Amino acid sequence: MTTPLTHTEQPTLSRRQLLQACLVGGGLGVSGFSLLRWFSSTRLTAQTFIGHAATYEADFALLIRHGLQELGVTPAEIKGKRILLKPNLVEPHETLSHINTHPLVVRGAVEAFLHLGAASVVVAEGPGHRHDTLLVLEESGLADVLYEDRIPFHDLNTMEGLTIRNLGSHTKLATLTFPRLVQEVDWVVSLAKMKTHHWAGATLSMKNFFGVMPGNYYGWPKNVLHQVGIPQSILDINATLKPHFAIVDGVTGMEGDGPIMGTPIQAGVLVMGRNLPAVDATCCRIMKINPQKIEYLHKADQWLGPIHESLIEQRGESWRAVQTPFALIPEIPAHQGIRLG
Amino acid sequence: MIQEPFLHSLERMKSVQLPNGGFPYHAGEEARPDATAWAIIALSAYAFDRESCNRGRAHLVSQQAKDGRLSISPAHSEASWPTPLAVLAWQESSQSHEAQSRATDYLIGLTGQHFPNPDPSISGHDTAIRGWPWTADTHSWVIPTGLAILALQQMGLGTHIRVVEGQHMLVDRQLPHGGWNYGNTFVFGKELHPLPESTGVALQALAGATPIHEVQQSLDYLLHELPHLRTPLSLGWALLGLGAWGLKPPNTEALALASLQRQERYGPYPLPSLALLLCAVKASQGLHSLFNASPREMHSPSTHASGARSFFR
Repeated sequence: MTTPLTHTEQPTLSRRQLLQACLVGGGLGVSGFSLLRWFSSTRLTAQTFIGHAATYEADFALLIRHGLQELGVTPAEIKGKRILLKPNLVEPHETLSHINTHPLVVRGAVEAFLHLGAASVVVAEGPGHRHDTLLVLEESGLADVLYEDRIPFHDLNTMEGLTIRNLGSHTKLATLTFPRLVQEVDWVVSLAKMKTHHWAGATLSMKNFFGVMPGNYYGWPKNVLHQVGIPQSILDINATLKPHFAIVDGVTGMEGDGPIMGTPIQAGVLVMGRNLPAVDATCCRIMKINPQKIEYLHKADQWLGPIHESLIEQRGESWRAVQTPFALIPEIPAHQGIRLG
Repeated sequence: MIQEPFLHSLERMKSVQLPNGGFPYHAGEEARPDATAWAIIALSAYAFDRESCNRGRAHLVSQQAKDGRLSISPAHSEASWPTPLAVLAWQESSQSHEAQSRATDYLIGLTGQHFPNPDPSISGHDTAIRGWPWTADTHSWVIPTGLAILALQQMGLGTHIRVVEGQHMLVDRQLPHGGWNYGNTFVFGKELHPLPESTGVALQALAGATPIHEVQQSLDYLLHELPHLRTPLSLGWALLGLGAWGLKPPNTEALALASLQRQERYGPYPLPSLALLLCAVKASQGLHSLFNASPREMHSPSTHASGARSFFR
C-alpha cells in the first residue's frame, strides 16, 4: 500500500533548522515575511474539492470523476488498482436515510473508480452498533444497489484480523487489528457521511474508520476504542491505516444529536480529497464548526495533514459559498465551543 | 421429516467441517470457535451427525485456554465472547464435562467494567449492574450478557447471583418503548432504537425469570418486526426470543425458507447465522428446548406467556 502522504511528505524540522528559525525569529520585525514564507513552505498542504449536488438525483459518478480529476487523480494512477470503499453504515433504519452514506453516492464512487481503470472495487463495512450486518445493508438500501451492480461487499466485523503495530501512539494500544482485506487492496477510500457527533463533535472521513475495526475483536459498539478514547483512537487508526482518499456525502447530512439521533440537513455537497484531515477540516467549515476545536483534527494538524484554511487549496466550490450551519446542542459537551466564529 | 432446504443446509454445514474438527465462518477459511459451536448446536439439534459433532467438540476443547475461556482467536484472548457458545455446544457430550465446567467457572468470574453512572443525563442505564462484555476490560452489553445467561442456565445455574444480576441488567437496559438496542437506553436524553437481534437474545435470556408484563412491549415489538425480517441472524434470534415465551409463530418454517432463499441473492450465509436459523426452526420453545436435558431451575416459559398477545392466532 502506498501512503496518503506520498504527494505531500510530512516535513520534519532538524535541530539545526529549528535553531535557525529561532535565531531568525529574533529578527522577525525585519525579516518576518521571508521567515513566514520559509515556514509555510515546510508545512503540510493539501487540496480538497467541493462538488455541488442539491439532491440524490445528481450524477454522482460524473461529479466524483470531476473531483478526482481536479485533485490530480489520473487514470494512470488508478489503472489496475484494487479499491476498497468504506461507507458509513452505523445503525440505519429504513425511514432514516440521513444516518448513512447514500447508496447512490456509493454507486457513483464505484463507477468513477472503475471508469478510471480500477482492477476491482469492493465495498466493506463493519457496522458499529449492529451485529446483523446484512440487515444493515438491506435497511440502508445499499444491498439493492450492490446487488444490481454486482459489487462485492465484505463484512469487516467478522473478518479475520491482521494485527500490526500502532503507528499513532495516542492510545495505550500497542497494536491495532485490521481486517485482512485492507492488506489485499491498493487504495482505501473513506466514503463518509457529514454528521455532527455527540462524543467527537463531528464524524467525517477520519471517524468513519471506526467501522473498519472488526467487532469480533473490538466488540459492538467498538467498545475497546471507546474505552481508550475516541479522538485518540481516530488518530491511531488513521495514522496506522494510512487511507488514500476521502469522499464525504454532505448532500443530506445530520445535525444535532448525531451520529444516529440527529435530524437531516441539506448541505448539498460532496467533499473530496487525498488528505483526510484536510477534507474533514473543510467539511467542518461547511458545517460552521471550527476544525481547531475538534480534538482529533487539532491533534492531526501538521502530523497527518493540514487543517488550517491557508494550507488547503480549495477546488470546485468555495466552502464559504456552500456553508450550511449544522445545529449543535449546547448540552452536549463535545458541541460546546466548537462553533466557527 | 426435515424439509429439503433445511436438510441441504445441514449437509452444507457438515461439508465444510475441517480436518481438525472445527468449522469455519465461511467455507475455505480456518476454524473459528463461534462457527464451530453454532454448527455443533445445530447439527446436534437435528441429530444429524453425532461423529461430526464430537469432532467439533473435541476441537473446541483443543482451543480452550487454561482459565476456561474460548477466544475468537489465540492472538486475541481478550475477546472471549465465544465462551458461552462453547458451553452450549458441549452440553450434549459427557466427554466435554471438564472443559464445560472450566468454561462455566470462567464465565462466572468474568464481568465487564462497571461503575456508578457519573451522569444519568448523558447515559440512561445503570452502569453499575454487572453483566458480560464482548471483550475484556470493557462495559457489559446485551448480546454477550444474554449468551452468558443462556450458557449458565444450561449448566443448572439459573438462580446463580451472576445470572440473576445479569437478568436485572437486561431489564434495566430494556428500552421504555420496548426492545433492546446494543445496550444503551438513553443517550443525551434520547431513547435509542430497538434492534431485533439484541431483543431476541434478551427475551430468550429473560424467559422463565421475568414476569411477562415487564417485557410485553418488547414481545410486541418483535412480533411486529417478525414479518419483515429476512436475514438469518435477526430472524433466528427473533424466533428464539419469541419461542422462549411460547410465541413461536406457526409460519416459522415459511419465514426461515424465505430467508434461506435469499442466499441466491447474497451467496451462502455465514455458518453461525445459518446454524442459528436452523436452531430457531427446530426449537419448540426457545434455545433451551433444543437440548435433551432441560436446564434445571427453569420454569416453563409457556406458563409465563399465557397472557401474551400474538399476531399469529
